[in-house]
Amino acid sequence: MSRIGVFICHCGENISRTVDVERVASEIGKHPGVAFSTDYKYMCSDPGQTLLKKAIQEQKLTHIVVAACSPRMHEKTFRKAVEAAGLNPFLCEMANIREHCSWVHENREEATLKAIDIVGMMVERVKKNRILPTITVPVTKRSLVIGGGIAGIQAALDIADCGHEVILVEREPSIGGHMAQLSETFPTLDCSQCIMTPKMVDVANHPKIKLYTYSEIELVEGYIGNFQVTIKKKARSVDEDKCTGCGVCMTKCPQKKIPNKFDQNIGMRTAIYVPFPQAVPNTPVIDRENCTWFKTGKCGICQKVCGPGAVDFEQQDRLIVEAVGAIVVATGFDLYSIAEKPKGSPIKGYGEFGHGKIPDVIDGMTFERLASASGPTGGRILRPSDGKEPKQIVFIQCIGSRAREKGISYCSKVCCMYTAKHTMLYHHKVHDGQAYVFFMDARTPGKSYDEFWRRSIEEEEAVYIRGMVSRLYQKGDKIVVMGSDIAVGVQVEIEADMVVLATAVMPQKGADTLAQKLGISYDKYHFYSEAHAKLRPVECATAGIYLAGACQGPKDIPETVSQASAAAAKVMTLFSKDKLEREPIVARVREIGCVGCFACKKVCAYGAIEEKEIRDRQGNLIKVVAYVNPGVCAGCGTCQATCPSKSVELDGYTDEQIVAMIEAL
Amino acid sequence: MKTLLNYSYYPGCSLHASASEYDLSTRELFNALGIGLTEIPDWFCCGATPAHNVDELLSLSLCAKNLELADKVEGDMAVACASCFSRLKTTQHVLTENEVKRKQVETAINAPVKLDSSVKHLLEILAKDLGLERLATAANKPLAGLKVACYYGCLLTRPTDVPNLDCTEAPTIMERVIEAVGAETVAWTHRLECCGANFTLSRPGVVIQLTNAILESAKAAGADCIMVGCPLCHGNLDIRQKEIEGVYNADYNMPVFYLTQLVGLSVGLGAEKLGLDAMIVNPMPLLKEKGLL
Repeated sequence: MSRIGVFICHCGENISRTVDVERVASEIGKHPGVAFSTDYKYMCSDPGQTLLKKAIQEQKLTHIVVAACSPRMHEKTFRKAVEAAGLNPFLCEMANIREHCSWVHENREEATLKAIDIVGMMVERVKKNRILPTITVPVTKRSLVIGGGIAGIQAALDIADCGHEVILVEREPSIGGHMAQLSETFPTLDCSQCIMTPKMVDVANHPKIKLYTYSEIELVEGYIGNFQVTIKKKARSVDEDKCTGCGVCMTKCPQKKIPNKFDQNIGMRTAIYVPFPQAVPNTPVIDRENCTWFKTGKCGICQKVCGPGAVDFEQQDRLIVEAVGAIVVATGFDLYSIAEKPKGSPIKGYGEFGHGKIPDVIDGMTFERLASASGPTGGRILRPSDGKEPKQIVFIQCIGSRAREKGISYCSKVCCMYTAKHTMLYHHKVHDGQAYVFFMDARTPGKSYDEFWRRSIEEEEAVYIRGMVSRLYQKGDKIVVMGSDIAVGVQVEIEADMVVLATAVMPQKGADTLAQKLGISYDKYHFYSEAHAKLRPVECATAGIYLAGACQGPKDIPETVSQASAAAAKVMTLFSKDKLEREPIVARVREIGCVGCFACKKVCAYGAIEEKEIRDRQGNLIKVVAYVNPGVCAGCGTCQATCPSKSVELDGYTDEQIVAMIEAL
Repeated sequence: MKTLLNYSYYPGCSLHASASEYDLSTRELFNALGIGLTEIPDWFCCGATPAHNVDELLSLSLCAKNLELADKVEGDMAVACASCFSRLKTTQHVLTENEVKRKQVETAINAPVKLDSSVKHLLEILAKDLGLERLATAANKPLAGLKVACYYGCLLTRPTDVPNLDCTEAPTIMERVIEAVGAETVAWTHRLECCGANFTLSRPGVVIQLTNAILESAKAAGADCIMVGCPLCHGNLDIRQKEIEGVYNADYNMPVFYLTQLVGLSVGLGAEKLGLDAMIVNPMPLLKEKGLL
């Protein structure tokens, strides 16, 4: 005979405001099988858990129902408490009377009756709960880091420094990401390359880091502790082992006028190229679309001049499979473009700014390349159209960001600070120039950030105009900026030589496709979703996958680095155990009933169903049945719903339990 | 050409008064193109700018009632004036989004609001319903050599998601229509700037300043004339032009046509059927010079 204990939580006032918790406790106390019921203000707190544990021991309780919030919130908490009191944790269930009841109802009487029903159902359900033994799976102590920007680099170095192997995969020919493109960084104005490139070299030299550049993730299989990842290493056309990085091939390449993406297409590169001089690895790659050899079959100069014979036109894309236990996703961001967007895109572009067709209207990243000592102008601020130095420059913030009508409602977080930085860099380089900034608000919540912003106004003479710009148009060689100054209440017109737009930070293109390969969730903008906005900010809801940097949301460098180190710490937590315990909520096959139709195998999204031969003592094959690999099973229950002979059941969610719940109503 | 298209016509107040040439040229053009127009019986003012500045419920109800009247005539609603078009579309948009207001309006007009009925500006009918190809075929006297500055003003495309006539900030529908009948268009900067609209009476100084910028920009782009789809824009650009020239010591001499007048010319309609004599800036010298009359 079961002795069920029921514990009703007030959740401060979250539940008790709408639900008469005392009445629920007294009503459920009369329910058959319930030996003990009580209510408490905060069941999840230390005294609450102590109350639970004491009751289990004193009342000799066999099954527990905690009526509180969603099991997503605290099921683990209470199961741990129950286990500490000596019961199998899976004999404890939660009745959700917060999200499913008090938060969504106003009528106290009706909500109370509903709460009694919900708890009653869980009492009936828990009577059918079985003791489930915890499943252990092995952990492969290697990790994959996707993305070689500052987030990926930091995460990879931290994990590798703890002695575990890291596979770092980068889509571009070099690691470094956007941070390598930046000139100086706020709020200290130290040179981005100077703090970035040593870390890039550390990655290249680290014995525990295996670097795949110019590579992409093709396929991800498996589960926490045991992923198999297929990486596509695109043909570089240069043998990385033979190449010495001397660069002769690049100086001799006749194709010299290809816009360099790293320089935001304002600088030019050759067809065989490294994106920037400090690239890691310092091995060129042939851009086959623009290479004369690949287009016409003639030329081949790079191959002729290459001393070590590293140029290999025959090289093919390769698929490499790596086994890892954890994955850090650090794919970073992309910038909003004001150009016209294809029909159906929620992003609208800026027709009022000429859809990006005015040559001296550039974005913040292009300004970074102009200001960078290693950029296409050698660090001089020059107009892309005619190479003249702009004497009047206008910066416009919140382009795309915080503009619902343009398709994005969020704040991109870094633009206020980098625009302040741009005004300083401009003032340092063009002494007789004047910078104007159109802004809605200045958002500077970071250490030394507001001081930095004030400095741009007070010492570097930037003129900040609170208001937005309605239109940009070319007039002769000037750009007319029509805006408003809402502090004074007048319209403003500035004839500028150059305009810099602080365009919104968006996820990388293809972020959604990668998420689907990884099985992680993302929001409507394709930023990856963390498991809990406050308490689990670096973990995905999918176990064993962690997030670092701007792929999760707009972030500046300090925040990105912090999150990357946090993700690395999470990976190390996982690797600190040799075996991983996982919830035993997995499907089980009743072999007697199974006819071996394998309908379950067809619907299983995780590849957890295997074929198992049943033989008699003489070794004669009797039949082939389905077998669920408990290490792979994700506990989704699809097989259970599919099985025509009802021979597969999900532990913890058996038909018997569900029917008991329905009958309790 | 056979009559394939038929519309319930909402001229709006201006077209029965200061913009009678817009009304005349619209009827003549549609007749020539074989498009049916039936004026909505008993239509009344949409409320324009004054109503929605004073009482939102009144302005929504005026438009809702007109939508209901239009529904009784066969065909989609054809609207000539940019302001009427904007108010009718805004009413449908607001009342679709806001159920409380919809119920209030329904009580006021004592009928359900026609939220889904199709309200079309003349441009849309020419460019989409009739189609540019058929329009080009009908243009037996193409406007070759005429450089047109297409002026949208504020209301034809704005705000985002309400009129849905074309791209809000970089529309091309006017250019497409007038190029289809053989004219050239100029790329200019003030296509979508405000002309000052009805401040023309209360704050003429503002209107003169704004309208001057528009005329200046069109002239600088090399336009021979301006084409509009709004009676109020027309009034400011055409009627005030002499005064502006005086204030700014400029010489624009820039005829301002309604779109139906220019398209009408291209299908062979004469000056008297297009009301060209009602224009303040005389277009005759330009049209003769270009051999279009």
